[in-house]
Formats: sequence, structure tokens, C-alpha cells
Amino acid sequence: MTKKSDVSKTVSRRSILKAGAVGAAAMSAPMFYARNAWAEKAIGNYPISGDTMMLGFNVPQTGAYADEGADELRAYKLAVKHLNNGGGMLETMTPSKLTGSGVLGKKVDFVTGDTQTNPDAARTSARRMIERDKVIMFGGGSSSSVAIAQQHLAHDLGIVFMAGLTHSNDTTGKDKRRYGFRHFFNAEMTGIALAPIIAKEYGKDRRAFHLTADYSWGHTQHDAMKRATEAQGWTTVNNIMTPLKSTDFSQYLTAILNSDADVVVLNHYGKNMVNSLSQAVEFGMRELQKNGKTMEVVVPLFSRLMAQGAGSSKIQGVLGTTNWNWSLQDAGSQAFVKSFEAEYGFPPSMAAHTCYCQTLLYANACEMAGTFYPPEVIKQLEGFEFDGMGNGKTLYRAEDHQCFKDILVVKGKSPAEKTGEFDLLELVDTTPRETVTYDHKIFGGELGSYEPS
Amino acid sequence: MNKSTSIFSKYPIPIFSLVVLSFPFWFEYIGGYPGLDTKILIWALMALGFDILLGFTGYLSFGHAIFFGVSAYATGLMLKHFSPEIIPAMFIAVIVGTIMAFAVGYLTMKRSGIYFSILTLAFGEMLNSAALSTLQDITGGDNGLTIPDVKPVLFGIRMDGLSMYFLAAAILILGYYLARRIATSPFGLILKAIKSNQERLEYTGIDVQKYKLGGFVISAIYASIAGSLMVIYEPYVATEYLHWSTSGELVIMSVMGGVGTLVGPMIGAAFMLYFENVLSVPLGEEWLLVLGIIFMAIVIFLPGGFMEGLARIKKRYFNKSNKEEK
Repeated sequence: MTKKSDVSKTVSRRSILKAGAVGAAAMSAPMFYARNAWAEKAIGNYPISGDTMMLGFNVPQTGAYADEGADELRAYKLAVKHLNNGGGMLETMTPSKLTGSGVLGKKVDFVTGDTQTNPDAARTSARRMIERDKVIMFGGGSSSSVAIAQQHLAHDLGIVFMAGLTHSNDTTGKDKRRYGFRHFFNAEMTGIALAPIIAKEYGKDRRAFHLTADYSWGHTQHDAMKRATEAQGWTTVNNIMTPLKSTDFSQYLTAILNSDADVVVLNHYGKNMVNSLSQAVEFGMRELQKNGKTMEVVVPLFSRLMAQGAGSSKIQGVLGTTNWNWSLQDAGSQAFVKSFEAEYGFPPSMAAHTCYCQTLLYANACEMAGTFYPPEVIKQLEGFEFDGMGNGKTLYRAEDHQCFKDILVVKGKSPAEKTGEFDLLELVDTTPRETVTYDHKIFGGELGSYEPS
Repeated sequence: MNKSTSIFSKYPIPIFSLVVLSFPFWFEYIGGYPGLDTKILIWALMALGFDILLGFTGYLSFGHAIFFGVSAYATGLMLKHFSPEIIPAMFIAVIVGTIMAFAVGYLTMKRSGIYFSILTLAFGEMLNSAALSTLQDITGGDNGLTIPDVKPVLFGIRMDGLSMYFLAAAILILGYYLARRIATSPFGLILKAIKSNQERLEYTGIDVQKYKLGGFVISAIYASIAGSLMVIYEPYVATEYLHWSTSGELVIMSVMGGVGTLVGPMIGAAFMLYFENVLSVPLGEEWLLVLGIIFMAIVIFLPGGFMEGLARIKKRYFNKSNKEEK
């Protein structure tokens, strides 16, 4: 993985002597003892040779999430531009050691790859970036399974992975890794943020019926929503796991109509959600009277791209949570939206936002550490608290590498309310960070060591 | 070209070994990188085994991902819960793959043609959805089977980088040697006879069913070993290993390389992985389209794949020696 020649370029004669001494000690001492003896050994693609810092952006360029992948790539390119030339959130992020003229004196460059929304393909593509293009960090992804597969690879090879859009609890839960970081929020936070609001809006004696996409993200989302709504006094009538590839949900919707439930929770994402929501509306579910109340539809994870897919006549009044929306008025969001629109002519998606932030956060951690040595950079990110990136004061929790920030609860706008093609979501409430902070121990999992063995 | 191919037909194993063993040392000059070379060998092994079924008997299986995937899961679970030593893991994986092959083969080999293909496809899809939903507590569902902090070892030697490459290379060379032996054996001859006329063969009193099942199982064992090696190479099991697209890719590799030639499918595998991981970068999001066009062009103009291409070049420029060989 690491070439010896890379090491010898950067070490002096004295350090070679020192290394020799350490090596001799290592032979007589047990391995774990020797590991700490050499402060900055070669890990992954550290040390960087040359004057370019290479980043890898592995996004879905083909397949179901290709649109999101394309938007992520736009954001990444913008982030690299800003890191090299200044601008964007570099002006609003605090605390920040970013200079706007590269990172630690090196110019930032990047390579791209196609994950095909397939964990195996994503790993192969990541491996190319690591082995051939010598990236020091890589990121991206638009699906939790892909993110998890990549962060395990990252940990094995000693390359930091800054996850893009991934919402499953597992990413920073049971599958967390020392070399993986997530800025995006997760299913657990969605549950905690959304449940009080829907309980306030729809009443505390509601009976919910869940439809859940049958894969890991769906399961964690269902689980989180069930716990959070039951804590508010709701009853969960039933849950049906729907196959990921379903496009017709009528049989499941019929089951809901035949039950005594008066709320439908759609734990779906992407095309699944567009289809299930559209069909629920066509079934007349949102006008139906059940138990003396109007039936309601809840979509825990909302995104602007999905809202566009379903159309505002269907999403109007539907409640859900989102990581970030381009209409936010804080300085960080505005700086990002303005530079993104100037570059591409339309506002960024939440996937773009999280990828942009992740790149800046990594670069800043390198500046703070004063080195690209991965364990030091990781230590800078762990417990790092920052502001000015669009979600208020945000903490990168050390124990599970999950960002904690205020969560946005949004409502779909009606066709009459919206002012433009991209204006689809209305901010209903912001759940403060303290409220959505949960105990990191509930999901289990181990981060593992700072140095890959 | 002529010289090398004629030498190749004289000393196939030494030349094949030479190419495989020197591969990692020249691969980077054509845009390759460490890691991909190992993956190419693993896929080549699977394509080679697939050719014993498709190339010899003519049975087109769309379910070879079953054996690749099942043995990958078996290896992963063994590494995770039993020991990072690879021998017990591979042993169990091959046993599981073989049992699976007998079961699937027994149920599907009675049909031929499209019915056989569809049946194997259905079995593959069944197992894939089982891994995704019913068995997700064991398989990890769509997150895949993650095996954190396990470094596979062979007799205490870490299997990564070049050591992993040479392990795969040794198995591939052995696999190629055995495949050639099978091709020239009476058993191989019967398999080929099944392809040309199964009924006539039956009239001669041969239990065709037994031979077909034999061919199927041997082919599945190759896939099982490949699946096991894949997890040793990277300790992680993706559910895609069981997905029909893995079987589909295998078919494409075989067709591109040249069905029934043994070497052809391996070249096809190398080409596919090289294209997907190296040539796709400059092509960007259009790479799948270009691959599709290449595939179509091969099917239309070179039905025998790359091997037919080589043969045509040979015939055209070195006509004499070609006659000599025949």
C-alpha cells in the first residue's frame, strides 16, 4: 500500500538512524509496544509526495441516484475551487484555519469515480483512487450501504473517508469506523425531531401504520420513528416491509385502508417515496376520515429532489425532516448557495451541501493538525465544534464521528405557495441540537484503532 | 502474434504462468494499479470455470453468482467468527458451494436452453432476496457483511498486496491446468458431445444427466473458490455478489472473450475489469454506453469474441503457419 520510496524521500539521515533504532527495538519488543514508538509512520498515502493534495470523489454517476451524484460532484468541484482560491463558506466558517490558497501549502486536486450505487463497485473504484491516484481522503456516496462498505475499506487502508448522503443509523452506529465521518443527520435524529411536531400537529392519540423500504436504512428509520412516536403516546398498528424495487404500493395501501390506522408513515426514500406518496394521494388517503380524524401522511426523510419528483400538489402539507435546504437565510448557507448558483445556475441539493461541508471540514482539520498524518487529522475532527456552515453550531462527536446540529422539520408547499421551480419546502420548526443528541452507546459498534494494523 | 500463439499452443501452461506471474510488474504501465490485478485473477478464475459449463456443454447459467456469493458469505462468516486463517474458511466455503451446486444442478439440469437459464436465474434471485431480507441478521442485509479488524492469514502470513496476488495466481494456474486436462479427458469429450447432440449421446447408453451435473458442479467449484478468494482479498461481502448482475457480467465476459476457448473468457474478464476501472475514468458517465457499443460490435462482427479476432489476424497475416497447424 505504501511505497518505501515515498518514505525515504521525506526522512533525513538522522531519522533513518532513529528509525533503525526503533526497528531494532521493535524486533525485541512485542508488536503493540512498537506501534507507538514511531510517531508518524507511513499510513495509507501519507506522507504526500509532491506539492498536490489529491482528493477522491466517489459518487453515483450511473444508476438510480445518478442525479444526486451529479449534484454532489458539482459541490465537490466548487469546494476544491474555494479551497484553492477562496470564497464560499471559507468566509463564514468559524473557527477556520483555511487560507483559500491550498491546504498546508499544497494545491488541492481531485479525481472522480463511479460508485454505481453498488458497494462492490464503489470499493473497487475507491481502491483505484487510493492505489493509483494516491488520494489522501475520499468521500461521496448516496446510499448507506455504499458508505458503510467504503468506510470499512477506508479504515483497512488508512485513508480518511468523509461520507456524503447517508441517513442510516448504522453508518455511525454499529458499523462506525475510526476513518469514517458523517456530517449528514440520521434516522434517529429524524425520529426525535419529527415525533413531537407531528404529535402537536395531529394529536397524541394517533394510530400509525408504517410502510418501510426493506433494507437497512428503512429498518433503522422505521425503528427510530416507532420509538419516537410511541414515546409521544401514539400507537403503532402495523408495519409492512416493502421490497426495495417495488413501484406499485396499492396492495400495501389497501391494507392500511382496511386497518384502523389514521396516520401513514412512509419510511421510503428516492423513487420509492415518490411512488408510495403519489399512490397514497391517489387513494384519497389525505381526505379520508378515520377514527373521527383526518388521515395524515408523514415522510420522515424529505429532500428537495424527491419533492420535485412527487410534485407540489402531492406533497403540500406533508411533514418530514431534511438536513439542509437552499432557502435557509444564514450567512453560511447564503454564501454557498450564491457561489453554487453563480457556477451552475440553479440551487444546490442537500446532498451537495453535505459533500461541500465535508470537504472543507477535512481540509480545515489538516490545517489545524499541521499535518496530513491521518491519526492527527482524525483527532482534530473528533470533538470539533464549528459554526457558519448552514446548520448553526455543529459538533463532530468524538465517540461515533456523527455531526450533531439543529434538525429542520419541513412541510411541502402547495402549488399556490411556491415562488419558483425549486421552492418546494417550507421550514416549520428547528429542533435544537441538544434535543436530538442521543447516547452513542445505544447502537453498539467499535471505532477501532487510529492506526490500521 | 503468430509466433506467440503457436508457442502458446505448444507450451500453454508455462506461458500462461509467465503472463500471470509477471502481470503485477507491468500492469501499472498500462494504467493498472495494485489490487485490480488480484481482482482480475479472481474474476478470470470464475470465467474459466464458467467456460467449462457454457463452452463445453452449452448450458447458459444465469445463476453462477449463487456459488460465488454463497461461498463469499461462508468465507466471510468463517473469517469473522472462527479464525482469520484462510484454509478452514476456504474449505468450508467450497463445501458449501459444492452442496449448493448439487442441489441447484439436480433441480435445473433436467431442463435445457432458455428454461435452464431462467431456472438458474430464479434460484439466484431467490438467494439474493433471502440475503437481503430473511437472512439479513446473518448476512448484514444490504449493508453487506462487514468484517472489521480481521486480517486474513495463510499459515500466519498476512494475505494482502502481492502475497494475495500470488495466492490467487497459484490457484488460477492450477485451475487452468485442470481445465485443460478436463478438456482433453474422456469426461470433457462427453461434455462437448452433450453440446453437439445430447439425444444421440443418450442413445449410446451414456447417462447424460450424470455428466451434465458433473460439469455443472465442477464449474460451480471454480466459482466458489473465486468467491472465497474475493473475501480474502477484501474482507467484506457485498450482496451484489449474489445478484443476477454478477452472473450477467460473467456471461458478457465469456462472450466477449470467446466461449469455449478457456483463455478467451479470462481475457474477457480482464478486459471488462480494466474497462470498468481504468478506461471508464476518462469516459465519465458515458462509460457504460461505450461498453455496450463494444459488446454489440463484438457480438455482431466477432461472434467468437477476442479469440476469434486473434484467429482472424493470424489467418490473414500468417496464413501458411495456420495451415500447418491444422
